[in-house]
Amino acid sequence: MTESPEAASRPSTFARAWAKAVSGTSYLPMTQAQLEALLHRLTGQLAGALLAEPFDLRAGHRVGAELVAAHIASAEGLGRTVEVIQLRLVRDLGLVAEDVEDRMARLLAAVATGYARALRDRTLDEQESIRRAAMMARTQALRALRASEARFRHQATHDPLTGLPNRTLFTERLTAALNEPGRGAQRIGVCFLDLDRFKVVNDTLGHQVGDRLLTMVAERLCQDLGEHLVARLGGDEFVILVERTGGTDDMVKVAETALAAVRTPALVDGHELQVSASIGIVERQVAGANPSDLMRAADATLHWAKSAGGARWALYDAERSRRELARYALSAAIPAALERGEFYLDYQPLTSLRDGRLLGVEALVRWRHPELGVLRPDSFIGLAEETGLIVQLGGWVLAEACREAEAWSAGGVQAPFVSVNLAVRQVHRAGLVQDVLALLRQTGLPPERLQLEITESTMMSTAEEPVRALRVLADLGVRIAIDDFGTGYSNLAYLRDLPVTELKVAGEFVAGLRSPAVGRTDERILASLVSLAHALDLTVTAEGVETAGQAERLRAIGCDAAQGWHFGKPAPADRILARIR
Amino acid sequence: MQRPDWAPDTIDIERPSVARMYDYYLGGSHNFAADRAAAQAMVAAVPEAPLMAQANRAFLRRAVHHLAEAGIRQFLDIGSGIPTVGNVHEIAQRIDPASRVVYVDVDPVAVAHSREILSGNDRAVVVQEDLRHPEAILSHPDVRKLLDLSQPVAVMIVAVLHFVSDDDRPAELLATLRDALAPGSYLVLSQASDDGRSADERAEAERVYRRTDSPLWIRGRAELTALFDGFELLDPGVVWVPQWRPDTPDSAEDAERAVFMGGVGRLGD
Repeated sequence: MTESPEAASRPSTFARAWAKAVSGTSYLPMTQAQLEALLHRLTGQLAGALLAEPFDLRAGHRVGAELVAAHIASAEGLGRTVEVIQLRLVRDLGLVAEDVEDRMARLLAAVATGYARALRDRTLDEQESIRRAAMMARTQALRALRASEARFRHQATHDPLTGLPNRTLFTERLTAALNEPGRGAQRIGVCFLDLDRFKVVNDTLGHQVGDRLLTMVAERLCQDLGEHLVARLGGDEFVILVERTGGTDDMVKVAETALAAVRTPALVDGHELQVSASIGIVERQVAGANPSDLMRAADATLHWAKSAGGARWALYDAERSRRELARYALSAAIPAALERGEFYLDYQPLTSLRDGRLLGVEALVRWRHPELGVLRPDSFIGLAEETGLIVQLGGWVLAEACREAEAWSAGGVQAPFVSVNLAVRQVHRAGLVQDVLALLRQTGLPPERLQLEITESTMMSTAEEPVRALRVLADLGVRIAIDDFGTGYSNLAYLRDLPVTELKVAGEFVAGLRSPAVGRTDERILASLVSLAHALDLTVTAEGVETAGQAERLRAIGCDAAQGWHFGKPAPADRILARIR
Repeated sequence: MQRPDWAPDTIDIERPSVARMYDYYLGGSHNFAADRAAAQAMVAAVPEAPLMAQANRAFLRRAVHHLAEAGIRQFLDIGSGIPTVGNVHEIAQRIDPASRVVYVDVDPVAVAHSREILSGNDRAVVVQEDLRHPEAILSHPDVRKLLDLSQPVAVMIVAVLHFVSDDDRPAELLATLRDALAPGSYLVLSQASDDGRSADERAEAERVYRRTDSPLWIRGRAELTALFDGFELLDPGVVWVPQWRPDTPDSAEDAERAVFMGGVGRLGD
């Protein structure tokens, strides 16, 4: 095989045609001139391979691989390359050889093989690299996700102000401690802590100071009790979880430490603040305990500490809790009991010490409870007052008393008045006057046969409305008595303003008349009360008179009337009335 | 628990990525089945799609080459995608090895791939950010570390602005970038245009890209020219990309088939 004389200039013609053929088959990161230069070089190699003796397949492989390396790397790129070599290489370069067709076929096969091998390798490499990139991206995304979840979880389980664990985390930890006895803990305890009068700090010094105080308390609790979980449940409520206790003594120690930590004066924004806290302690066996019961118990115990004056801890007492629960259940049953007619009235005589006449009777409510039997007022009135049910119950008592008392006048005898206790809430309720007027109208009871007993504490508030209401009632002729006089906050000023008819002197002064030593003092007090009352034109009834001796001395003092076992126990109306008929 | 908005997405290679579809158009194999299926649907809708990508890539090459020859040594390539062949740093660092290049892409796989390609090259780096957050790009520590914004920078926004809707206010994004650049800086911009295309073709292309996270937002020549606000357009202005300073006169033939329009603007002194 030989080259024709003009062959030297012909490779560039071929290279240009080749470049044109592969343009656009894939992205070529070079200029047209660079492409032509590259293909010109490869043209030389092809021509060399076609003429070489012996024929070397590897030259064809190399050209194929170089094309792929130069990014002429697509199916179309190969197709057009084969086509242009087959059609033009021999002609353009003027190559002459006997076996040129043979050699061309073998050369094309070698180029295509080298090309396909290189393209396959390149494809596999690229696939591998993009997969690796996807994997790396995924790992990174997961790592970022985990980091953000950890951050999110921290935010969700911690209090932003103090950085302490919040209610969520505390509940989780408490639940875990109770559900995993495998941890080895036999007993568990919580201290439920609440600052005393924290609201005053917020209200007087502002929330910023309040917040800083909370932060400071949080820091101290952590510092002194760091081995336990200290959480902030919200507001000024903190809780300390002691996961392993040896008994209540351990918890008391924790509580004392916490109280001391809170008690240390804190300097906040130039204010020296001294605050105290109340703590409810619950300590019990892990076995059988559940988180909500435990926290309910802690909350109730905290209230005991608060109601005992604060700045102290209280220890959970199951018996006390049961009593309170029973009381609560009892109060909840009052409305239904009213509907079913389980309440009724007994009456206790108010007797004149001058002539022994029955002046009046005090209405005393009884509850015929279907399970507990007859209940006296001291077992449910306090509750009714706390819950507000006293308005409903008191209303019923007043109405029932008026209704029954009206009937007593039949028979010509001068009928006794009926004395009914009014609770604070009843007196302060708008509409008291209208209610009483309506009752008197409906029952036909003359106003002067109704006496309303109010306690001193009723008049503690400075509201004018109750005073006005009582004055309207007094003007109508209704009697107004001050109950338990002398035991409360005896502000005598109200005696000047109130339309009071009578003072009922508390039984404890009368009780003193039994023993000569104390009795002398009590007798003097009673005597002064009587003379004070008389000076103000009021009558005096002594309560709790149990003996003839007491009655005698009260009479000697000048007391007007008396009430107590000596004169008659509470009983149904007809039995009391039987005495005067 | 509700996941907050700063929690990152996970990687889903079942969803086509516009970066890997582009790689497929260029003849690369840095793509997955979902990418290829979407790219093939695009080719069915717009048969020139591979040609478009190649023409656009060639435009990028010529623009970078031109700017590097003009003395630019800092490049910020936003929407850089999968680094295949003829990347900005390859072109620029061939002219001056001291050239510094920051690639920015929102696609985490593209970023991971770029990171691997660039490992060992301390004058080129990739940052995962979104063109729609130019402040985040400009203040990114890697951008700050590699680029000196008191010196001219070429900002490349090539074949990516059609993924930014008008609701994202592209003019404001570009103005934010422009205001951070020193005089003598350049903006290289190209994007898909529908000048001379049928409504059907456009609708079908848009449908394909709705499969991805990046729906198409086609713009015409006038809109593109307006986006060079504040820059002086170099000759020949905003043109079909093959017409922008072609290597040879015949390589600009049938230029409108390239679908992409682009231009280069210079920030005056």
